[in-house]
Amino acid sequence: MSAVERYNRQILHWGKERQQQLEAATVLIAGIGGLGATVSQLLVRAGIGKLYLVDDGLVDWSDLNRQLLYNETDIGQPKLTIAKQRLQQINKDVTIEVQQKRIDHSFQPPADVSIFADCLDNYPSRFHLEASLGTGSFLIHGGIEGDQGQVLTLQKGKSQSLAEILAGSRQPQGEIPVTGSGAAILSGFMANELFNTIFSQPQLLNRFLIVGLSDLHLAFLEV
Amino acid sequence: MINIQFYSLLRLLLKQEKFELASIGEDETIEQLLQRLQQQISTPFLQKLLDEQGEMFPGTIIMINRRNIHHLEKLETPIQDGDVVALFPPGAGG
Repeated sequence: MSAVERYNRQILHWGKERQQQLEAATVLIAGIGGLGATVSQLLVRAGIGKLYLVDDGLVDWSDLNRQLLYNETDIGQPKLTIAKQRLQQINKDVTIEVQQKRIDHSFQPPADVSIFADCLDNYPSRFHLEASLGTGSFLIHGGIEGDQGQVLTLQKGKSQSLAEILAGSRQPQGEIPVTGSGAAILSGFMANELFNTIFSQPQLLNRFLIVGLSDLHLAFLEV
Repeated sequence: MINIQFYSLLRLLLKQEKFELASIGEDETIEQLLQRLQQQISTPFLQKLLDEQGEMFPGTIIMINRRNIHHLEKLETPIQDGDVVALFPPGAGG
Protein backbone atom coordinates (compact mmCIF):
# COMPACT_ATOMS: atom_id res chain seq x y z
CA MET A 1 0.00 0.00 0.00
CA SER A 2 1.39 3.39 -0.96
CA ALA A 3 1.61 6.40 1.34
CA VAL A 4 -0.76 8.26 -0.95
CA GLU A 5 -3.31 5.47 -0.52
CA ARG A 6 -2.84 5.21 3.23
CA TYR A 7 -3.09 8.94 3.91
CA ASN A 8 -5.56 9.69 1.12
CA ARG A 9 -8.26 11.24 3.30
CA GLN A 10 -5.96 13.82 4.87
CA ILE A 11 -4.03 14.47 1.65
CA LEU A 12 -7.38 15.42 0.16
CA HIS A 13 -7.53 18.02 2.91
CA TRP A 14 -3.97 19.38 3.19
CA GLY A 15 -2.26 18.13 0.04
CA LYS A 16 0.83 16.05 -0.84
CA GLU A 17 3.35 18.77 0.00
CA ARG A 18 2.18 19.03 3.59
CA GLN A 19 2.08 15.27 3.90
CA GLN A 20 5.74 15.24 2.90
CA GLN A 21 6.48 17.96 5.45
CA LEU A 22 4.77 15.81 8.09
CA GLU A 23 6.75 12.71 7.12
CA ALA A 24 9.98 14.71 7.48
CA ALA A 25 9.02 16.17 10.88
CA THR A 26 10.21 15.23 14.36
CA VAL A 27 8.25 16.06 17.53
CA LEU A 28 8.97 15.36 21.19
CA ILE A 29 5.96 14.64 23.37
CA ALA A 30 6.55 15.15 27.09
CA GLY A 31 4.05 13.21 29.17
CA ILE A 32 2.18 10.24 27.68
CA GLY A 33 -0.92 10.47 29.85
CA GLY A 34 -4.35 11.99 29.28
CA LEU A 35 -3.14 14.40 26.60
CA GLY A 36 0.03 12.72 25.36
CA ALA A 37 -1.47 9.28 24.77
CA THR A 38 -3.97 10.75 22.32
CA VAL A 39 -1.72 13.42 20.81
CA SER A 40 0.93 10.80 20.03
CA GLN A 41 -1.65 8.51 18.46
CA LEU A 42 -3.01 11.27 16.21
CA LEU A 43 0.50 12.18 15.03
CA VAL A 44 1.41 8.54 14.37
CA ARG A 45 -1.83 7.87 12.50
CA ALA A 46 -1.17 10.96 10.36
CA GLY A 47 2.28 9.64 9.42
CA ILE A 48 4.71 11.89 11.28
CA GLY A 49 8.34 10.98 10.60
CA LYS A 50 9.74 10.63 14.09
CA LEU A 51 8.48 10.92 17.66
CA TYR A 52 10.30 11.14 20.94
CA LEU A 53 8.21 10.15 23.95
CA VAL A 54 9.24 11.10 27.49
CA ASP A 55 7.48 9.82 30.61
CA ASP A 56 8.33 8.00 33.82
CA GLY A 57 4.92 6.62 34.77
CA LEU A 58 3.36 3.18 35.12
CA VAL A 59 -0.13 2.38 33.88
CA ASP A 60 -2.65 2.62 36.73
CA TRP A 61 -6.34 1.82 36.93
CA SER A 62 -7.18 5.49 37.31
CA ASP A 63 -5.51 6.19 33.93
CA LEU A 64 -7.86 4.03 31.89
CA ASN A 65 -10.77 6.50 31.74
CA ARG A 66 -8.81 8.82 29.45
CA GLN A 67 -5.40 7.45 28.41
CA LEU A 68 -6.45 5.79 25.18
CA LEU A 69 -3.28 3.80 24.49
CA TYR A 70 -3.62 1.59 27.58
CA ASN A 71 -5.96 -1.16 28.73
CA GLU A 72 -6.53 -3.47 31.74
CA THR A 73 -3.77 -5.90 30.82
CA ASP A 74 -1.21 -3.06 30.98
CA ILE A 75 -1.69 -2.21 34.67
CA GLY A 76 1.70 -1.81 36.36
CA GLN A 77 3.66 -1.69 33.09
CA PRO A 78 5.76 1.32 32.08
CA LYS A 79 3.62 3.60 29.94
CA LEU A 80 6.39 4.11 27.40
CA THR A 81 6.82 0.38 26.77
CA ILE A 82 3.13 -0.01 26.04
CA ALA A 83 2.83 3.27 24.16
CA LYS A 84 5.67 2.46 21.77
CA GLN A 85 4.29 -1.02 21.14
CA ARG A 86 0.75 0.22 20.41
CA LEU A 87 1.90 3.15 18.31
CA GLN A 88 4.13 0.91 16.19
CA GLN A 89 1.17 -1.43 15.68
CA ILE A 90 -0.77 1.55 14.36
CA ASN A 91 2.04 2.72 12.04
CA LYS A 92 5.33 0.84 11.72
CA ASP A 93 6.80 3.50 9.43
CA VAL A 94 7.10 6.08 12.22
CA THR A 95 10.40 6.14 14.12
CA ILE A 96 9.69 6.21 17.84
CA GLU A 97 12.34 6.85 20.48
CA VAL A 98 11.47 6.68 24.17
CA GLN A 99 13.09 8.24 27.21
CA GLN A 100 11.95 6.74 30.49
CA LYS A 101 12.55 9.69 32.80
CA ARG A 102 10.95 12.50 34.72
CA ILE A 103 11.64 15.90 33.22
CA ASP A 104 13.68 17.89 35.73
CA HIS A 105 16.54 20.39 35.70
CA SER A 106 18.89 17.82 34.13
CA PHE A 107 16.73 17.19 31.06
CA GLN A 108 18.49 17.65 27.73
CA PRO A 109 16.32 17.47 24.60
CA PRO A 110 17.56 15.53 21.56
CA ALA A 111 19.40 17.67 19.04
CA ASP A 112 17.09 16.89 16.12
CA VAL A 113 13.86 18.28 17.62
CA SER A 114 12.50 21.81 17.36
CA ILE A 115 8.81 21.18 18.13
CA PHE A 116 7.82 20.07 21.61
CA ALA A 117 4.42 19.10 22.99
CA ASP A 118 3.91 19.84 26.68
CA CYS A 119 1.44 17.16 27.71
CA LEU A 120 2.78 17.15 31.27
CA ASP A 121 0.68 17.18 34.41
CA ASN A 122 2.73 19.43 36.67
CA TYR A 123 4.21 22.92 36.54
CA PRO A 124 7.79 22.12 37.66
CA SER A 125 8.31 19.64 34.80
CA ARG A 126 6.69 22.05 32.34
CA PHE A 127 9.08 24.82 33.34
CA HIS A 128 12.10 22.47 33.24
CA LEU A 129 11.10 21.34 29.75
CA GLU A 130 10.78 24.91 28.54
CA ALA A 131 14.09 25.93 30.11
CA SER A 132 15.88 23.12 28.27
CA LEU A 133 14.76 24.22 24.79
CA GLY A 134 17.03 25.90 22.29
CA THR A 135 16.29 29.35 20.90
CA GLY A 136 13.67 29.24 18.18
CA SER A 137 12.11 25.97 19.31
CA PHE A 138 8.33 25.80 19.46
CA LEU A 139 6.53 24.68 22.61
CA ILE A 140 2.89 23.66 22.28
CA HIS A 141 1.51 23.72 25.82
CA GLY A 142 -1.66 21.95 26.85
CA GLY A 143 -3.42 21.73 30.19
CA ILE A 144 -6.73 20.45 31.47
CA GLU A 145 -8.53 20.51 34.79
CA GLY A 146 -12.17 19.65 35.29
CA ASP A 147 -14.37 21.90 33.18
CA GLN A 148 -11.57 23.78 31.45
CA GLY A 149 -8.44 23.42 29.39
CA GLN A 150 -6.04 25.48 27.33
CA VAL A 151 -3.58 25.24 24.45
CA LEU A 152 -0.82 27.78 23.76
CA THR A 153 2.13 27.94 21.38
CA LEU A 154 5.32 29.76 22.36
CA GLN A 155 8.61 30.20 20.52
CA LYS A 156 11.67 30.13 22.74
CA GLY A 157 13.48 33.44 22.77
CA LYS A 158 10.71 35.32 20.95
CA SER A 159 7.66 34.75 23.14
CA GLN A 160 7.16 35.37 26.81
CA SER A 161 8.10 32.19 28.61
CA LEU A 162 5.50 29.84 30.00
CA ALA A 163 7.16 30.27 33.41
CA GLU A 164 6.60 34.03 33.17
CA ILE A 165 3.03 33.70 31.97
CA LEU A 166 2.04 31.15 34.59
CA ALA A 167 4.06 32.74 37.42
CA GLY A 168 2.34 32.21 40.74
CA SER A 169 0.62 29.01 39.61
CA ARG A 170 1.10 26.20 42.10
CA GLN A 171 0.28 22.58 41.60
CA PRO A 172 -3.16 21.73 43.06
CA GLN A 173 -3.00 19.34 45.98
CA GLY A 174 -4.24 15.83 45.30
CA GLU A 175 -5.38 14.33 42.04
CA ILE A 176 -6.59 16.64 39.28
CA PRO A 177 -10.09 15.96 37.90
CA VAL A 178 -9.99 14.99 34.20
CA THR A 179 -12.60 13.23 32.06
CA GLY A 180 -11.89 11.13 28.99
CA SER A 181 -13.96 13.36 26.74
CA GLY A 182 -12.25 16.50 28.02
CA ALA A 183 -8.78 15.03 27.50
CA ALA A 184 -9.75 13.91 23.97
CA ILE A 185 -11.02 17.39 23.07
CA LEU A 186 -7.90 19.16 24.32
CA SER A 187 -5.68 16.51 22.70
CA GLY A 188 -7.40 17.15 19.39
CA PHE A 189 -6.71 20.87 19.63
CA MET A 190 -3.09 20.18 20.58
CA ALA A 191 -2.55 17.79 17.67
CA ASN A 192 -4.18 20.28 15.30
CA GLU A 193 -1.81 23.00 16.48
CA LEU A 194 1.17 20.63 16.17
CA PHE A 195 0.23 20.02 12.53
CA ASN A 196 -0.12 23.79 12.02
CA THR A 197 3.31 24.34 13.55
CA ILE A 198 4.91 21.61 11.42
CA PHE A 199 3.41 23.40 8.40
CA SER A 200 4.97 26.67 9.65
CA GLN A 201 1.56 28.18 10.35
CA PRO A 202 0.95 28.01 14.10
CA GLN A 203 -2.43 29.52 14.93
CA LEU A 204 -1.96 29.83 18.67
CA LEU A 205 1.43 31.55 18.76
CA ASN A 206 1.36 33.85 21.80
CA ARG A 207 -2.36 33.33 22.42
CA PHE A 208 -4.17 30.83 24.55
CA LEU A 209 -7.08 28.91 23.17
CA ILE A 210 -9.20 28.46 26.28
CA VAL A 211 -11.82 25.73 26.14
CA GLY A 212 -14.83 25.60 28.45
CA LEU A 213 -15.92 21.97 28.46
CA SER A 214 -19.26 22.26 30.28
CA ASP A 215 -20.72 25.23 28.40
CA LEU A 216 -18.64 24.57 25.24
CA HIS A 217 -17.20 28.04 24.93
CA LEU A 218 -13.94 28.88 23.17
CA ALA A 219 -11.98 32.02 23.90
CA PHE A 220 -8.60 33.49 23.02
CA LEU A 221 -6.24 35.25 25.41
CA GLU A 222 -3.24 37.07 23.92
CA VAL A 223 0.00 36.79 25.89
CA MET B 1 -12.27 52.69 30.19
CA ILE B 2 -10.68 49.59 31.70
CA ASN B 3 -11.55 46.32 30.03
CA ILE B 4 -11.74 43.33 32.39
CA GLN B 5 -11.95 39.90 30.74
CA PHE B 6 -13.00 36.69 32.47
CA TYR B 7 -11.94 33.20 31.38
CA SER B 8 -12.80 29.61 32.23
CA LEU B 9 -14.43 29.11 35.62
CA LEU B 10 -14.76 32.84 36.27
CA ARG B 11 -16.70 33.20 33.03
CA LEU B 12 -19.00 30.41 34.15
CA LEU B 13 -19.42 31.91 37.60
CA LEU B 14 -20.09 35.46 36.44
CA LYS B 15 -21.99 34.46 33.28
CA GLN B 16 -20.25 37.14 31.26
CA GLU B 17 -17.09 37.45 29.20
CA LYS B 18 -16.02 40.95 30.11
CA PHE B 19 -16.88 44.07 31.97
CA GLU B 20 -15.86 47.67 31.43
CA LEU B 21 -15.21 50.12 34.22
CA ALA B 22 -14.39 53.80 33.92
CA SER B 23 -10.92 54.71 35.13
CA ILE B 24 -10.81 56.76 38.34
CA GLY B 25 -7.21 57.82 37.96
CA GLU B 26 -3.71 56.45 38.24
CA ASP B 27 -3.81 55.94 41.99
CA GLU B 28 -6.06 52.89 41.73
CA THR B 29 -4.40 49.48 42.12
CA ILE B 30 -5.51 46.23 40.50
CA GLU B 31 -6.79 45.04 43.90
CA GLN B 32 -8.89 48.17 44.32
CA LEU B 33 -10.17 47.83 40.78
CA LEU B 34 -11.31 44.26 41.42
CA GLN B 35 -13.03 45.31 44.64
CA ARG B 36 -14.80 48.09 42.74
CA LEU B 37 -15.79 45.58 40.09
CA GLN B 38 -17.28 43.23 42.68
CA GLN B 39 -19.48 46.06 43.93
CA GLN B 40 -20.75 46.61 40.40
CA ILE B 41 -21.77 43.07 39.58
CA SER B 42 -24.25 40.88 41.38
CA THR B 43 -22.06 37.79 41.89
CA PRO B 44 -19.23 37.83 44.44
CA PHE B 45 -16.00 36.51 42.92
CA LEU B 46 -13.09 37.90 44.93
CA GLN B 47 -13.20 34.93 47.28
CA LYS B 48 -12.01 32.87 44.28
CA LEU B 49 -8.95 35.08 43.85
CA LEU B 50 -7.91 36.26 47.30
CA ASP B 51 -7.76 34.67 50.73
CA GLU B 52 -9.00 36.31 53.94
CA GLN B 53 -5.69 38.16 54.31
CA GLY B 54 -6.01 39.56 50.80
CA GLU B 55 -3.24 37.35 49.41
CA MET B 56 -3.67 35.82 45.96
CA PHE B 57 -4.61 32.18 45.65
CA PRO B 58 -2.21 30.35 43.32
CA GLY B 59 -4.94 29.10 40.98
CA THR B 60 -5.69 32.24 38.99
CA ILE B 61 -3.45 34.37 36.80
CA ILE B 62 -4.12 38.09 36.68
CA MET B 63 -2.69 39.76 33.59
CA ILE B 64 -2.55 43.44 32.73
CA ASN B 65 -1.87 44.15 29.07
CA ARG B 66 -0.52 40.57 28.62
CA ARG B 67 1.81 40.75 31.63
CA ASN B 68 1.32 38.59 34.71
CA ILE B 69 1.09 40.93 37.70
CA HIS B 70 3.70 38.77 39.46
CA HIS B 71 6.21 40.57 37.22
CA LEU B 72 4.70 43.97 37.92
CA GLU B 73 3.76 45.13 41.40
CA LYS B 74 1.41 42.23 42.11
CA LEU B 75 -1.85 43.40 43.69
CA GLU B 76 -0.39 46.88 44.12
CA THR B 77 0.07 47.31 40.36
CA PRO B 78 -1.50 50.63 39.31
CA ILE B 79 -4.24 50.58 36.70
CA GLN B 80 -4.53 53.16 33.96
CA ASP B 81 -7.20 54.14 31.49
CA GLY B 82 -7.15 51.79 28.49
CA ASP B 83 -5.67 48.83 30.35
CA VAL B 84 -6.87 45.34 29.56
CA VAL B 85 -7.12 43.05 32.59
CA ALA B 86 -7.50 39.28 32.17
CA LEU B 87 -8.43 36.83 34.94
CA PHE B 88 -7.56 33.28 33.93
CA PRO B 89 -7.40 30.12 36.05
CA PRO B 90 -5.35 27.70 33.89
CA GLY B 91 -5.88 23.95 33.92
CA ALA B 92 -2.93 22.24 35.62
CA GLY B 93 -3.38 18.62 34.53
CA GLY B 94 -2.29 16.78 31.44
